[in-house]
Amino acid sequence: MTHQKLKGSATLAAIGAATLLLAGCVPNAAPSAQSIAVSAVDDGCEVAETAGTSGTITFTVQNDGTKVNEFYLLGSNKLTIVGEVENIAPGTSRDLTVQVGPGEYFTACKPGMIGAGVGQSPFTVTGDEVATTPEEDAVVAQYIAYVKTQTEELVPQVEAFVDAYKAGNDDEARALFPIARINYERIEPTAEQFGDLDPKIDYRKPGAIEEGLPFTGFHRIEQDLWLDRAIENYSQPEKNHYPKDDLVALTPDERAEIGDQLVADISELNEKVKSPDFSLTLADITEGAKGLLDEVAAPDGKLPGEENEFAHTDLYDFTANVEGAQVAFDTVRELLVANGGEDLAKDLDTRFADMLATLATYGSYDAGFVSYDTVDTTKRNELAAKLSALSEPMSRLTAGVVES
Amino acid sequence: MIATLLIGLREGLEAALVVGVLLAYVGKLGRPDAARKIWLGVAAAILLSLGLGALLTYGAYGLSFTAQEAIGGSLSILAVAMVTWMVFWMLKMSRGISGELRGQVDRALVGSGWGVAAIGFISVAREGIETALFIWATTRASGTAPLVGFLTAISGILIAVAIGWALYRGLLRVNLTVFFRWTGVLLIIFAAGVLAYGIHDLQEAGFLPGPFIAAPEGAGPIATAWFGEAGWAFRIPHIVAPDGVLAVLLKGTLGFSPEMTKLEVLAWASYLIITLPLFLVRSYGAQRASRKERK
Repeated sequence: MTHQKLKGSATLAAIGAATLLLAGCVPNAAPSAQSIAVSAVDDGCEVAETAGTSGTITFTVQNDGTKVNEFYLLGSNKLTIVGEVENIAPGTSRDLTVQVGPGEYFTACKPGMIGAGVGQSPFTVTGDEVATTPEEDAVVAQYIAYVKTQTEELVPQVEAFVDAYKAGNDDEARALFPIARINYERIEPTAEQFGDLDPKIDYRKPGAIEEGLPFTGFHRIEQDLWLDRAIENYSQPEKNHYPKDDLVALTPDERAEIGDQLVADISELNEKVKSPDFSLTLADITEGAKGLLDEVAAPDGKLPGEENEFAHTDLYDFTANVEGAQVAFDTVRELLVANGGEDLAKDLDTRFADMLATLATYGSYDAGFVSYDTVDTTKRNELAAKLSALSEPMSRLTAGVVES
Repeated sequence: MIATLLIGLREGLEAALVVGVLLAYVGKLGRPDAARKIWLGVAAAILLSLGLGALLTYGAYGLSFTAQEAIGGSLSILAVAMVTWMVFWMLKMSRGISGELRGQVDRALVGSGWGVAAIGFISVAREGIETALFIWATTRASGTAPLVGFLTAISGILIAVAIGWALYRGLLRVNLTVFFRWTGVLLIIFAAGVLAYGIHDLQEAGFLPGPFIAAPEGAGPIATAWFGEAGWAFRIPHIVAPDGVLAVLLKGTLGFSPEMTKLEVLAWASYLIITLPLFLVRSYGAQRASRKERK
């Protein structure tokens, strides 16, 4: 590096720092803003309020102990640091000003700067989401509209599938099974926000057993329609420990019960999405797009062929997940470009096109995809490589779209 | 009291040590003009920190936690890059210093000296922002007499400056070849520490995987090992109290902290394993070369 370059990089650093300063500013406490007193001692952390309203909150942390203290506001997972103030000397007080949206948080102190902290207690923030721009609201509204059309299309598809299954037309039901799942797979992370519905609709057998839930939904019907493969599969040494008492053909009554329940659950999902209370944030969309790709790569996902372990129709789900991620990305694309993320956007365009073109070599929804058990390791590795080439830039999407 | 003193000492130590070595460098080369520029860089950093502290405290806007950590972390990593470059550059130049090439070094000495000044600026500004906020809080705080707290914190910084000065004096007595070698080693060791906690800052802000972020769902075991509780390399605050004198000195010099993340340790070790041997090999190589020339 020459001397000129050195000067250049120092200037660059100053500009970078200045940009960060502008992007990372939070309003200091206005007289009307919420101020919450915190008393930190050597073995405790008393926060005067356990709740606040979204927006700017200032914690005034008074160190009444004898050790240097730190005060943390943690996210709902108790790991993510939403805000911290360090170096609070005994007898002094420091402010932590944060801008927070509604949700569950935790407060904690760290006297002596030791360990995981003491006095960890929940802190609830209620109120509206932190202000968004009209452009952001429009993008979110557009994506919600997309989710609604998907659940609306999902209902008749699942009904047709369940009708064939209940009537005992097994060949027809087998053909409809992957088609009925397409709309669900495109919006899976959103559906998973309804924590009670997804386990009923889309849990696989090991997942249901682990969480002690009744095995229902798509994969329960899949097991019945491909019973021979299911029996074979669950006799393999690695799956031999799972109970096998449900590996018998269902009676017409049982078929009707399990089929009707799936239709009811899907309809409830559709109702919930259409409700005016249903809302999403920009981060939900971008993280959901990443989540869709993670669904493919997960150990019990499509890439290892575990999603549809009896039907081997994983390529339909794979394609639907990627399509869903692409729609989510396209929806936020302009915001990304406006934030200076044009390179990332172009990169993602290319990766999506490449991934979908590769998938198209295996078939299509209309013509049918090849059975996934005929896709050998080399080809699966190729799919995996393209998928991770797509996932990597995708993991930077939220940061590029959502300004902190 | 002692706690406040140690805060000032810790925040001041790293900056003071780097600046001390920088001043020793230019002092050894007889370039008072470059020394003045370093002081200018340091002064600018102190003023910026104080101004920023005042602005953030009394202005309408404060700095979000993420921005604080991002600035601190990025400046740390930039400082490491600049110091590393400088150490190797000086090594190349020192080859000629023993001979008739002093003039060339003079011309090139970090050009007109502003490069070293920039390093001084960044090294101090990195710590300065945090310290300024702390000192402001101390003076404003009620409870124990704020002035006492303020003066204690300043005393900590002054002790740090004294240590930096002692290092500077000590280094001036060392002969030139040895001087370049050992100041280089010192700077590389300081830089490794700065790198480690620069990484730590960026982890706290959630920019890098670490103990402060949960592993993404469906991540493989290799990826998961860097997130959440698994992201810690070691946590031994019960052995080395983080608010004690020992921890403060270890952190100020080696960058060692009683709680370090895997990524931090990895960055620290990789930097040392690559840079230090490379530097020593070149340093001894340069010494042999210049001996041959003299024969």
